[in-house]
Amino acid sequence: MKDCSIKYLSEKIRNREITSEEVVRYYLNKIEEKEKNIDAFLLVQKDEALKKSKEIDDKIKRGEKVGKLAGIPIAIKDNICTKGVKTTCASKMLEDFIPPYDATVIKKLQDEDAILIGKTNLDEFAMGSSTENSAFKVTKNPIDITRVAGGSSGGSAAAVSADMVPLALGSDTGGSIRQPAAFCGIVGMKPTYGLVSRFGLISFASSLEQIGLFSNKVEDNAYLLNILAGEDDFDGTTVKELEKKDYTKDIDAGIKGMKIGIPVEFIEEIIDPEIKEVIFKDIEILKELGAEVEEFSLPLLKEGLAPYYIISSVEASSNLARFDSIRYGYRTKYYENINELVEKSRSEGFGKEVKRRIMLGTYVLSSRHCDEYYNKAQKFRSKLKKDFKEVFKKYDIIIGPVSPVLPFKIGEKCKDSTMHLSDIYTININLATVPALSMPGGKSKKGLPIGIQLIGDQFNEDKIYKVAYALERKLALNF
Amino acid sequence: MSISKNDIIHIAKLAKLKLDDEEATIFAREFENILKQFKTLDKLDLDDVTMEKPNVSVLRKDVQKKYEIEDLYINTKVMRETSIEVPKIIE
Repeated sequence: MKDCSIKYLSEKIRNREITSEEVVRYYLNKIEEKEKNIDAFLLVQKDEALKKSKEIDDKIKRGEKVGKLAGIPIAIKDNICTKGVKTTCASKMLEDFIPPYDATVIKKLQDEDAILIGKTNLDEFAMGSSTENSAFKVTKNPIDITRVAGGSSGGSAAAVSADMVPLALGSDTGGSIRQPAAFCGIVGMKPTYGLVSRFGLISFASSLEQIGLFSNKVEDNAYLLNILAGEDDFDGTTVKELEKKDYTKDIDAGIKGMKIGIPVEFIEEIIDPEIKEVIFKDIEILKELGAEVEEFSLPLLKEGLAPYYIISSVEASSNLARFDSIRYGYRTKYYENINELVEKSRSEGFGKEVKRRIMLGTYVLSSRHCDEYYNKAQKFRSKLKKDFKEVFKKYDIIIGPVSPVLPFKIGEKCKDSTMHLSDIYTININLATVPALSMPGGKSKKGLPIGIQLIGDQFNEDKIYKVAYALERKLALNF
Repeated sequence: MSISKNDIIHIAKLAKLKLDDEEATIFAREFENILKQFKTLDKLDLDDVTMEKPNVSVLRKDVQKKYEIEDLYINTKVMRETSIEVPKIIE
């Protein structure tokens, strides 16, 4: 099943060569077998998935038209709202929260007859890089279960990597799709800000975050993006009247003559020799495939960490102010008055990392410090965007590493630090709102996956997929 | 930059969070380190850069949508008919 493309599998279901129920049962069995060791899911919708698969099979039998994802299971990160199905953000604050509506991406999946198989684990409110910050469980890396799956979308990445589901959705605010994809040896795409609707994504940092997708293969990723991309009346930041692209079209056209840049700032920062070796080997492969690869300098790339954490913490403190425990959410047992109710509930309902970021954002936004930090960070962001625009006048895509470190052991990294140097290659992409894909670029001596990141200009996902497809075929890696 | 425990307690109040003494002490120490890193922005010349402002309205249309009352209040702890019960606000 893992070697079948999604397009091929859905055609087989449509042509009645295999039933959707058989496909769903295959993945449910995998979940049954592997989940106890991986802890990727917060909820598995076994009965609902089987019921839906039978409905799809019946529709096909009756000769009715079915969608492009007919009968294909997909897992959803648990910060994306699913009507009538718990959506917890892996937080005690939303442990019992049941959304009264579906996110737009969920509606799109359902319109194409996809089957929602479960909700996946994450760092609480998507704040973290290891999925160790979940209030409920720690997701393990399927390639080595003593190591983290990455984060914050660690559950979705691990579920796809362990073959418990062929596709999954995540969200990426500073690398939360790309880094876990790299750690788990799969493909993860963060599309351009505004290409995919964020309506129904529980907000953490609204100007940075983007819903994105996980798959085993590049082509499946492009196939799914075809379905998810597009304007949405419910998300005013989705881009209007954008030309609709077919990301699978000409994906195999090759990369001869394409211009690829690699920032020297990325190379200088690579400390791990194994990661460096893989990146340089991949550069040689891209050259062999006919691309022109050259180094260039973008000095601001070294400075993104501070502005990223300033902007994301400010937006987090504002977005998470809505959790007052009055209308919904965790409520403390004992309180004297309304102030105590709100303060105690928030203090007990949020985990340490979430509280730290709320505090940091509140501090930065307080009148004395707004100009000192926030306005400077916004200026940095404007300059970075302009610099990226200039770079993309010269190059079709930029490449670089995803993470400066290999998947680390569970509990190894200090949890008491908000600013993570491990985010250094991914955060600038969110600040610049451009798309980027993470894919397996090689392996370490111990067999751990090493990711490579392909970055494009705004709305140039098609170019990224083309390069990724060519590289994937040449590398032919298996984990 | 020095951040005192009292500064932290003040910020916590603004953020509607309650911290005990130990938590406030830890936060104060962590904040000092983080703010030191934030200061790296000072070495960049950003004076001539203008801040980007959205050039389009990002507000969606104000469209009325009907929900079943049971769906809307599905997560509410205590209801009295169509009202949410909360503790007394005015003593």
